[in-house]
Order: sequence, then structure tokens, then C-alpha cells
Amino acid sequence: MSANQPVSQPASILTLQMQHRIGALELDVALNLTQLWTVLFGPSGSGKTTVLRAVAGFVRPDAGRIMHGKTILMDHGARVFVPPHARPVRSAGQGAPLFPNLTVLQNIAYGVKSRHDGSAADIVENAVERFRLRALAPKSPLELSGGERQRVAVVRAATSAVSLGPGTLLLLDEPFTGLDLARQEELLGELRSWLAENGVPVLSVTHDVGEAFQLDAEVIRIADGKVAAQGPVTAVLADDRQRLMDQLRG
Amino acid sequence: MDFEALSLTLRLALSTTLILLLIALPLAWWIASGKGVARAFVQALVALPLVLPPTVIGFYLLVALGPLTLPGRLLIRLLGHPLAFSFEGLLVGSILYSLPFAVQPLVAGFSAVDREYTEAAEGLGAKPWQVFLSVVLPMTRASLITSAVLAFTHTVGEFGVVLMLGGNIPGATRTLSISLYDLVEDGNYAAANQTALVLIVFSVLALMAIYLLPGMRRSDGRQANIVR
Repeated sequence: MSANQPVSQPASILTLQMQHRIGALELDVALNLTQLWTVLFGPSGSGKTTVLRAVAGFVRPDAGRIMHGKTILMDHGARVFVPPHARPVRSAGQGAPLFPNLTVLQNIAYGVKSRHDGSAADIVENAVERFRLRALAPKSPLELSGGERQRVAVVRAATSAVSLGPGTLLLLDEPFTGLDLARQEELLGELRSWLAENGVPVLSVTHDVGEAFQLDAEVIRIADGKVAAQGPVTAVLADDRQRLMDQLRG
Repeated sequence: MDFEALSLTLRLALSTTLILLLIALPLAWWIASGKGVARAFVQALVALPLVLPPTVIGFYLLVALGPLTLPGRLLIRLLGHPLAFSFEGLLVGSILYSLPFAVQPLVAGFSAVDREYTEAAEGLGAKPWQVFLSVVLPMTRASLITSAVLAFTHTVGEFGVVLMLGGNIPGATRTLSISLYDLVEDGNYAAANQTALVLIVFSVLALMAIYLLPGMRRSDGRQANIVR
């Protein structure tokens, strides 16, 4: 995607400008996504999840505008609000639950858009193979461990986004939290390459410095409801990385 | 034992239950999916038959469906006979009278479905009706069964509305509870005892069916919270 664009003017995947009040927090955020994977980074309570939910359509901002490419998703002034299901966006909230009445395989297939050529089944098959879910596929979510459920929930959202087609924005709220390091690395690497192959850009939320570096993503740092910095992870989170290293050295 | 009354009662309860579910499902979903004065008002109207004497409902329906009102006159012209003192009239009365028993278990069940589930489905592109059919309904099967059993049994057990609205016409409006009343009036205690016993056994069995829903419990919204 971005390879075809001149470096000076990357195409905008999403532009967002919103004001929203939640409790004592006054959110005032403007951001522009141009990279295939962007991370919203910030401490808990900084408002990053609210930004994600506004893009998904679960929060109606008090004011502002959200555009996906040239499509308006929400414009307070023009009184436009596209409902969640009609947005070119797929999401997995924090600790998104699996549907207990469906098997793991049916969960993964739940959000897959049917296609006339029958390639929808191939996408599900591909996901099961790629993310090594063959053994879990026929099971009920009730038989899974917490980490396994988390993995399936993330794969479920990614599969839905891939089936909807290139350009679909995937929103992930703390997708790797609670997974052990080996699992996290495996899922993260596989996810990044699969989504890139299919032209699906990602906006994810984390408060984990290590995760942001692993993703080698564009980072938007949010603090107290405002955007504090945006840029490559090595630039934006350099200080946080140093602090972490110092801590590890003891 | 008045078998004509028994078959009429079962026919009435079955029709009432089926129609009530068609009304109660969307109504309960609407009530459960928000707040506000309009919803509170509708909920109060739905619950009204719980607190009013059945004779009050019967009386107003008798008037409303009769030749004294415009809708009543329209109905009489449309059907060729008054709705009151007919099976259809009883059906209308039973639907209103049993409405809270069908709606309230569904409202409770739908409200107990965690918003996380509906959001997870919406986040995967499901339209509102798909969310309802594929996520909410399967998770509230126990509420749906409770609602149906209560509507059915409550209709079987109604007396006041039937008496006011239906009179006592064999094969058309004489239900088991009316038949029982007749038998006692006639001093036929042996037959009355038989009818009363049938009603008791039936009610106990139906209520036990609700409490014996172990497999349903697990997929009920509250229980399903374990799955994260």
C-alpha cells in the first residue's frame, strides 16, 4: 500500500479529530493514520480506549469528525453518524468475549463476509492454519484457557477484517495483554504479516513499551486526553525504553 | 370431566402463547435496549394486568370491543358479529391479560446479556437484527422458554377475563376454569374435583419444566459471563 505512495505524502488511512468528555477527563484528540500499524500508547485512563471506541462507532463524540479515507464515519457538525456495522472497520475490544453458543471455528467465521466465489471459507481455513488453531477449532469457548480465548478473539476480528477486503481498518484494544511472551511474539508476528499481505491497516491500543517496540509501529502517544507525540516508536518511546532498561538492570 | 372445555382451553392457551411471543420478543428487546420515559410508560402498561382485577380488564374489553365504541363498531362490521362472546374475543383478552408474563422474563433475560457480547458482534460487522438472532436469542433461551410456559399456564388458569368477556358458551368460550365454576355451582363436587386436579397437576408439571432447565442455564447471559 504505502510502497506505492510518495514518501512525502502518505495516503491517509484515517483522520480523526474529536472532543469528548468522560467523567473528569476532557478528551481533545486529533490524529492522522498513514502507516499499516499504528499504536495508541498511553497510561490507563488517558482516553486511548475511548478514541478506539469512537472509531468503531461505540462512542458518539461530543464534537468532531472521523474520516476513513474519503468516507465520513462521523461528523458532529453535519450530523452524520455511521453505525458500527456499516463502517469499514472491524474491532476486538479489550477482553472481547467469545460467543459461548458457538464453537471456536464458528466464532472465527462469525464476522466473515460471504463472497460469491466461496472464498470466505478459504479465509477462515487460512486463519485456522496460520494461527495454529486446528486443535481448538471444534471446541467450545468454555473449554479454552484465558490466553487461548484472547488469541481466538483477536484472530476472529482479523479474519473478519481480511474478509471485508483491503483498506478495512482493524481496531485492537490491548490484543496481547495476558499472553505469555512466547505466545505474544508468535501471534504478533503472524498477525502483522497476514494483515500486511491483505492490506489491512491496524490501530491498536497498548500501555506496554516492549509490545510497541516489537511491533516496530508508528506510535501516537496520548497523555491526559491529548496527543503528546506521534512518530516512529524509536523516537516517541525512546525515554520509556531507557527507563525500562534501567529498571531491568536494577 | 368436560373434554370440550379441555380442548378449548388448550387451543386458547396455545394460540395466545404463539401470538404473545411474536408481540413480546420485539417489545421486550425494545424495552431492554434503552432507558427513558417512553419505555417506562410502555413497561407500566404491560405490567398493568398484574395489579388490576381481571374483571376490570374484561369489562373495558367488553365495552371497547362492543357496539358502544368506534373500533368496536368497525370490528362488528368487519366480522359480522361482536368480538365479545366468541373465541377470538377470548383470544384478545387472554393476550392482554398474559402480556406481562410473556414480556417480563424476556426483558430480564435481554437486560442480563452483557453489552460486551453485543459490541463484539457489532465490531465484527453484525447488523442489529443479526446481533439479536445470533447472539442475544441463543444466550436467552431459558428466558424464552420461561416466557412461553408462563404465558401458556397463565392463560389456562385465567377466569375473570373469560367470564366477563366470553360468557359461558360450550365449545366457544367455556374453558376449564369456567367449567369448574359451573360444576361447583351445580353441587357436582366429584366432577369439580377431577377438573381441579387436572389443572393442579398440569400447572406443577409446567412450572417444573421451567425449574428443570439445567442445560439452558449455562448459555443464559449471566452464566455466560465466565467466557471472556
